[in-house]
Amino acid sequence: MSDAIKISNLKKSYGTHLVLDGLNFCVRQGEIFALLGVNGAGKTTTLECIEGLRTYDDGNIAVYGKMGIQLQSSSLPERIKPLEAVKLFAKWNGTSPDKVMLSNLGIYEIANKQYRQLSTGQKRRLHLALALTRNPDILFLDEPTAGLDVEGRLFLHEQIRRLKAIGKTIVLASHDMAEVEDLCDRIAIISDGRIAFAGTVKQLGQTIGERCTITIQTEHGMETYESENIGESLLPLLLQYKQNGEVILDIQTDRGSLEQRFLKIAKGE
Amino acid sequence: MGAFFYGVSLQWKLDIRSKTLLITCYLVPLLFFAIMGGIFTSVMPETRDTLISSMTVFGVTMGALIGLPPSLVEIYGGDMKKIYQANGVPLSLGLVLANLSAYLHLFLMSIILSVAAPLVFHAEMPENMGMYFISLGIFIAVSLSVASVIGLAVKDQAKTAMFSILIFLPSVLLSGIMFPMELLPKAFEAAGKIFPASWGYRMMTEQVFLLESFLPLLLMFVLAVVICRILLRRMDP
Repeated sequence: MSDAIKISNLKKSYGTHLVLDGLNFCVRQGEIFALLGVNGAGKTTTLECIEGLRTYDDGNIAVYGKMGIQLQSSSLPERIKPLEAVKLFAKWNGTSPDKVMLSNLGIYEIANKQYRQLSTGQKRRLHLALALTRNPDILFLDEPTAGLDVEGRLFLHEQIRRLKAIGKTIVLASHDMAEVEDLCDRIAIISDGRIAFAGTVKQLGQTIGERCTITIQTEHGMETYESENIGESLLPLLLQYKQNGEVILDIQTDRGSLEQRFLKIAKGE
Repeated sequence: MGAFFYGVSLQWKLDIRSKTLLITCYLVPLLFFAIMGGIFTSVMPETRDTLISSMTVFGVTMGALIGLPPSLVEIYGGDMKKIYQANGVPLSLGLVLANLSAYLHLFLMSIILSVAAPLVFHAEMPENMGMYFISLGIFIAVSLSVASVIGLAVKDQAKTAMFSILIFLPSVLLSGIMFPMELLPKAFEAAGKIFPASWGYRMMTEQVFLLESFLPLLLMFVLAVVICRILLRRMDP
């Protein structure tokens, strides 16, 4: 699979604050790729540098294809109607609005509302439609489901999968591990201005390893043990309790979630 | 070109949907005309000769300086400009469309004034109508260019309103439409000349084309356009 985007040694500072300190990664054509990081990690800055909306201090950015951009925060004139906005941007880009796409995104259902009357979810759908008016090869979605309810999130996830199915490359910035796990082929975690992890979600899961915690509750209270190999540690532990004559009320084992792993990497722990 | 004309017609529609524009471009100037026209022509019947020009200068100055900057702040002060950049639309488009639409609205308001003043207050029609409307066209363009500088330079709606009023009030008070400029103290008379309203009023009442009235307006326009270009360039990464 060839590259859609290639980033080499990307550096960006705001005054004396170094935000991106030599970022390197690539996005392959046709995949859903997520940039992850805690708030302020530099996800939006990275995206905006790639999109050409922000200057950068050093490094190289190569983008192979036409870009469509849905910004994290964006706005339109309060009184514009969704189809008017779509038509304006389509005309300006020399394209025709894709009626199927507009129908899929539910734009016709909100056609008579003014922008100020739209809900957060409806605005997101409209901004996604606007990003698609250029018929892009690569679609950038900056926290596309932030502030949406469950229904809105599921709807947008379905649309993102549909776009991947027709061959679009999708780059999204998120701090929602569950969303990323559900949608993405590959991820990159930004920490301290660098890529702290790059790979598939499965590979991130493998970094958790076999380490786990075992919590045993008895009549006398709760005890927690850490183990490198649950298969070898659990039975001797239970035998020890039996020998001591303690009645076990509950046993819990926890390998740690992807989210915990993400947070550890993102915070550089 | 199709995209541009669609943009112009869309902006025109959006402006009509906006109550702010209707208030600043139509309601207040026409209300002012109804009240002040009555007072002026009763107290000083000779003001009938210049009533159309004076009321038009007030209406255009108000519509441009108070009406246009908030629209520009909405586009350039917040996230809206990013969506232009992100979707391949030139950053200047918002400025151009807002100006063109405001130009049409202000010209329309001026025509309404020109028609209503003779009927309501027996105001004198300008002798040279062609020259009058050319002067009006120039004056509207210059007023809008000054308003554009405010709208692009100030990023905050509250501050924009303050700056607009700071320019609007002396523009109107020192332009000669309320009282002759010759009666003002010299310093105020000189101060009045830095605003387009005084030159616009002079040009619209002169009936003949005088370069000495046109050149200051041209200078203001060129200066404002250059500043707007610099401000827009600063926004572009």
